[in-house]
Amino acid sequence: MFGCYKKSIILYCLHRIADERTVYSVFHLLNGKKSSQTIQDAFLFQLTPFFRVYPSMTRLQFDQHLTEMTKVKWILEYEPSQYRLTDLGREALKEQLKKQPLPVNLNGWKYHQLSVVFWERLSLLVQVISNLMYSNSKYLPIQRKKETHLWLKQFLQDTKMDRQVLAQKVFNEVVDCLENSTSIQPEFLISRLTGAETIGLTKEQAALQYSMDQDYFELQFQSILHTMLSVIKEKPVQLPLLNKVIQSAETEFTMTVSAQRTEELLQQGFTIEEIATFRKLKRNTIEDHIVELALNKPDFEIGRFVTDKNVAEIAEAVKKVTSKQLKHIKTIVPHAPYFEIRLVLAVFGDSL
Amino acid sequence: MIIEEVLKERFGYSHFRSGQKEVITTLLAGKNTLAMLPTGTGKSLCYQLPGYMLNGQVVIVSPLLSLMQDQVDQLKINGEKSVIAINSFLSFDEKLNALRQLNTFKFIFISPEMLVTENVLARMKSLNIALFVIDEAHCISQWGHDFRPDYLKLGYIREQLGNPLTVALTATATSEVRADIIHSLSLQDCEQIIYSVNRSNITIAVEHFQHYREKRDRLIELAKRLQGPGIVYFSSKKLAEQIAADLKQQGVGNVMPYHGGLEQETRMLIQQQFLHGQLDLICATSAFGMGINKENIRYVIHFHMPMQFESYVQEIGRAGRDGHPSIAFMLYSAGDEMLQHQLIEGELPDESQISLLENWLNEQKPTLQNVTEFEEELSLICGLNEIQLRLTLDYLKNCLANGNDFSVFSSKFKNFIRERLDSKKSKIEEMVNWIRSEKCRRLQLLDYFEESGQQQMNDCCDHCGFSIVPFERIEAENTESKHKEVNWKERLADILLKKREGEH
Ligand SMILES: Nc1ncnc2c1ncn2[C@@H]1O[C@H](COP(=O)(O)OP(=O)(O)OP(=O)(O)O)[C@@H](O)[C@H]1O
Ligand SMILES: [Mg+2]
Ligand SMILES: [Zn+2]
Repeated sequence: MFGCYKKSIILYCLHRIADERTVYSVFHLLNGKKSSQTIQDAFLFQLTPFFRVYPSMTRLQFDQHLTEMTKVKWILEYEPSQYRLTDLGREALKEQLKKQPLPVNLNGWKYHQLSVVFWERLSLLVQVISNLMYSNSKYLPIQRKKETHLWLKQFLQDTKMDRQVLAQKVFNEVVDCLENSTSIQPEFLISRLTGAETIGLTKEQAALQYSMDQDYFELQFQSILHTMLSVIKEKPVQLPLLNKVIQSAETEFTMTVSAQRTEELLQQGFTIEEIATFRKLKRNTIEDHIVELALNKPDFEIGRFVTDKNVAEIAEAVKKVTSKQLKHIKTIVPHAPYFEIRLVLAVFGDSL
Repeated sequence: MIIEEVLKERFGYSHFRSGQKEVITTLLAGKNTLAMLPTGTGKSLCYQLPGYMLNGQVVIVSPLLSLMQDQVDQLKINGEKSVIAINSFLSFDEKLNALRQLNTFKFIFISPEMLVTENVLARMKSLNIALFVIDEAHCISQWGHDFRPDYLKLGYIREQLGNPLTVALTATATSEVRADIIHSLSLQDCEQIIYSVNRSNITIAVEHFQHYREKRDRLIELAKRLQGPGIVYFSSKKLAEQIAADLKQQGVGNVMPYHGGLEQETRMLIQQQFLHGQLDLICATSAFGMGINKENIRYVIHFHMPMQFESYVQEIGRAGRDGHPSIAFMLYSAGDEMLQHQLIEGELPDESQISLLENWLNEQKPTLQNVTEFEEELSLICGLNEIQLRLTLDYLKNCLANGNDFSVFSSKFKNFIRERLDSKKSKIEEMVNWIRSEKCRRLQLLDYFEESGQQQMNDCCDHCGFSIVPFERIEAENTESKHKEVNWKERLADILLKKREGEH
């Protein structure tokens, strides 16, 4: 018995990081902590889909899950804060994933922010159109944020469509977006939409209606949003209205503010040493920022920090070791600083 | 234009409810007014309608953020665009923008805490205020609701604003509280328009239990038997959640918990579902209901007793706004008042906390100018929660402003706290006595508000006798039909294209 799906996710993540990190790196990952370490871990262990999927989980709740799973001997604390799956745990996880597989299109890292805005806008847009269609002018908007309301006003002004036409187009696009994606269940999302005559379900109610635990529903729901987002980005021309919904919601983001500041200074030509002195930060911290940049920026120039020769050697070393733990890599290329190894992992990690 | 026409045109109502016309004509005659009209009669209209007839802005001081939001929503729903709420929800930029354009709004809602800040007040002074409104005015009084220090400054603020025409609105105020309101607002020559607090269409019943379990079982039974929609009030979020879950398990469908700890989106959805009739029962804390305009609530059950009669009258007053018979149950199990006592003690700093505070003051010697910088330190050192901190800081500032010594402060503060505690405890005591008494519930309530009521003939209260039959549901709740699976595309078409199943 699992109780809740969060446990499965924790097990899964523990299984992935296999002995190489403390259990709290899993907590930070699910919580979406924007620190360089968490971000690197997400990439290193291919856990990016789960970044910030449970933002409101508290440390206390997390610990409770650990305690329960320890009690039933699924995991073992072999060193303080270091956990490992037992054979029993591996079996349980396998069983669980057979029953409730991980949602396929989940992409927390890429979409955790955009999907929030997308849902706020989409649900409000649908409610407003519905009330227009039903000629009902007295209703309360289900989304409360000012920005969302301002956005909607702008959207309606820009599109300048007859309400019937607009309704039909939005309908077609949403259907198009959802219909052709396999392995999602669109009703999870649609049941949560509010119209003129019926108010949408809360997450809790929807989970109950589809007889699944809330944590699993949450992931399913997010994976639908993420699916829609990737479809919209794939074919913006066929989905002009939905594409408009996500416009100007795209924040450069995904980086910590501090890393952004470092980036600015790098662009102005300062060296790591200078930036550290200037910002009164440790050299280490600035290096963390640069690794973060490397993870985030497709056009990151690694050549500025690592020589071609070192890149090649480190890449070779990475391929040789089974674990992605830095110290194992370092034993093969002892002359390369940790910083350079991390950068190479950040830039080429997936392909090595 | 005569006011009946405005009523028809602006609000779409054909006649006034009792008291409304009187308040409005008094205001239009330029007289300051204190109006006490029963819960749900339509006090908002008493400032909105004259607002439309007067030149200038209407400034409404409102005690609760959620209430303020509800009022703004209500106006907007009625097509009024020129309305804004200035409160701590606004971001810095939004606030700045709002203040800059303040003169373009007709209705300005504001919290007292915001109103007393200097730049806001300065901006307010430049307005042409046609009407100054204090909603839920009993909050002004020490003896009314919870202590809100900034409310006591409203008299000063009113003066700063050039003593604009003022109306104070409340549903529940004893004569002591009314005198307090008039005094703190310095409302000279104020007209008092006082209507009975009585809501004759609400039957009042109290039931006693020995044990918590019995009370819980009775609640479940009532929820099964009574015709909804209904609200059950709890003093604890956790219990509201738990009982809602219990009820679901017992087959009472369409029930959801509601409290301040839920996500905003969830709260919105639940509130809307209730208004739309998709939910039949809400298990709520007192965060729910203020400003909720649902006409057909048939019953209100108190699983925990409120802290005082004022709150009780307001909470049961959410039932039967359409004028149809409704019922209020108070479920009491021995010792329930202990929880209330704990709650009020949690709101006020205790003696040991004040002693810690005293030490800190003597060491740190803060001044009026820098004391706010120590907020965090203070709350850490003395272990003050948010409510306690707000109160302490305010009292401290007041003291510093009057040039008081720190030693004087702590003894004064201790006295003040003791008084508050005593006053609150005696209010709880009054509730308990009422619960235990053998006399007509209604007459006693009226007596508390110094009204001499007349015995009500039918369905008055548990002591006068009533039948529960008219309040029972006729058919058992039908949970089956709602679970009909609808294809997602059909549902989306229904929402967006107004197309029903079977249509094309
Ligand atoms: N003259 C009228 N005719 C019909 N309905 C009215 C009239 N005046 C007000 N109402 C309606 O009565 C409901 C209650 O109004 P309102 O919220 O102003 O009551 P209230 O007295 O402020 O209640 P509370 O004591 O809870 O604050 C609203 O739905 C309002 O639209
Ligand atoms: Mg009111
Ligand atoms: Zn009676």
